[in-house]
Amino acid sequence: MLLALMGVALFAGWVSLASQQAGRMTIGDPAIPVIYVGILFAIHLAFVLTGRRMDQVLLPVTGMLGSLSLLLMARLPQGLAGLSLGGLDLGLAPLQLLWLSLALAVLAILAVAVRNDNWLREYKYTWAAVGIGLLLLVFVLPPAGAERIDAPRLSLRIGPITGQPSELLKVILVVFLAGYLAENRTLLARTSTRVGPVSLPPVPYLLPMLAMWGVALAVVIVQRDLGAALLFFTVFLTLLYAATRRFAYVVLGMAMFLAGAAVLYQLFPLVRIRVDVWLDPWSDPLDTGFQIIHALYAFGRGGILGTGMGAGLPAVGDTPGDLPAIHTDFVYAALGEELGMLGALAIVALYAIIAERGLRIAARAADDFRALLATGLTLVIVIQAALIIGGNLKLVPLTGITLPFISYGGSSLLANAIVIGLLLALSDRGVEPPPPPSGPRRFHLPLRSTA
Amino acid sequence: MDAFTLTLWIVRITFVILLYLFFAALLRALWRDLRTTVATAGRSLGRLVVVTSPEGRPPAGASIPLDAITSLGRDVNNSITMEDSFVSAEHAVLTFRGRAWYLEDRGSTNGTYVNGQRVAGVVPLGYGDELQFGQVRLRLERVPA
Repeated sequence: MLLALMGVALFAGWVSLASQQAGRMTIGDPAIPVIYVGILFAIHLAFVLTGRRMDQVLLPVTGMLGSLSLLLMARLPQGLAGLSLGGLDLGLAPLQLLWLSLALAVLAILAVAVRNDNWLREYKYTWAAVGIGLLLLVFVLPPAGAERIDAPRLSLRIGPITGQPSELLKVILVVFLAGYLAENRTLLARTSTRVGPVSLPPVPYLLPMLAMWGVALAVVIVQRDLGAALLFFTVFLTLLYAATRRFAYVVLGMAMFLAGAAVLYQLFPLVRIRVDVWLDPWSDPLDTGFQIIHALYAFGRGGILGTGMGAGLPAVGDTPGDLPAIHTDFVYAALGEELGMLGALAIVALYAIIAERGLRIAARAADDFRALLATGLTLVIVIQAALIIGGNLKLVPLTGITLPFISYGGSSLLANAIVIGLLLALSDRGVEPPPPPSGPRRFHLPLRSTA
Repeated sequence: MDAFTLTLWIVRITFVILLYLFFAALLRALWRDLRTTVATAGRSLGRLVVVTSPEGRPPAGASIPLDAITSLGRDVNNSITMEDSFVSAEHAVLTFRGRAWYLEDRGSTNGTYVNGQRVAGVVPLGYGDELQFGQVRLRLERVPA
């Protein structure tokens, strides 16, 4: 039912866009929406046929975000991204459709195939090692794209495909944190060290926290990727609070964040530019402040109802290079212009629904690992969306991360599909019960009889 | 305003309306889900599943629902009676405070173990933890909704 409604909405948007572009009433070329809706229904059918009792809302919401993405990609100039496969030239929209299909396939396979979580639970340190390995790969291999001094080094090129490992890294990070916190949360929640008025847990258990802080700093310094660093640290702090309910951790984490941010602001021009531009984009309107100013103009032009799909000013899109990263970082501004405040609010509402579903799955989970895993996975998507939407709206300093499921980009779509796939698998009520906790389990016999 | 502009405007508004209809349908689904959750909530805060019990009382594999205050021991006046020769008469008490379970040893002879470690005083528990009283080992589980 929800999927059908989503399909109808996608077609209405498609007609709106095609007619605007052609200047007459037309349904345009319906191949892309037909294929997309077909894939979604096929996945739904697969879920029903395999008899898994999963969350019924997440798939349509994801599908809706994907539809908005397809509409926007079809509207933007097709030359923004392209791939030639054996004489077959794919523009922006078909390529995004290809990535979306791949992502949805990954999502469906994970949701159907994952029936127990031991492979995540038992190998948390292996996953952490994989994550660090991924991070190191970026430093070792030659960076993709033109090297600019302040350009983030976040792409990884393997053959013809470039990917952003930080997208995958965030999933691995959540798996590791959930495993670590589920095992140690009672220890972390206990008080034993006092520093002034703040009571802290045993010092050795604070080390992972320091390590996380270090990783976030390293990502900023070496990769110049502010968005990922901010995302990692926010997810980490929130998850730590969810696991321990100790407010002192949040205070401590914020203090460390402020200290780190202050030092980075002094040392790295990239950080300084981002913050200065956020505070006053009009101080440098033609260079560093350009993106933010034009995003704000776009929202302003959109008004309440928007200009309509395809009717936005040429500033958004028709002249490539005018507003850089329109298809990745500034999709929200583009949609805000063409769908207006109503559309922009609807997008926020869709992410809010993902948050509600994810946290409900967490609340229903059978044990701590699954609860923390579901919480973390939800946080990754929602915080990422909040950071980039806030960045577009000049609420927080702009960081270059993608809007989950809407931005163009293969690695982003695949990583977020893994997240939703795992959430769906966790939401199934018929999965295997969790295994008994590992760790020291000795029998304390002989015991003295009390009989 | 010609017919084309008008039609296009109607299509545009239809798209936004459909977007919100989709959202309304989502909200309805969430509301139904919330109602069923509320209706089934509060029935049980958790349960203990018996992992091993050499003397068979309680039997291994049994699942015992928990009250907010559950006392454990060999004495028949406990909420959960464990007729194990190494369990004290008043062995321990499980309490649900706020949103989490806590375990307190009541001065038992052989002690209380959580995940293989002996506990003193009141300790917080997590779902999935394994508790040991005497020879009886139990796992604290959340009751599936």
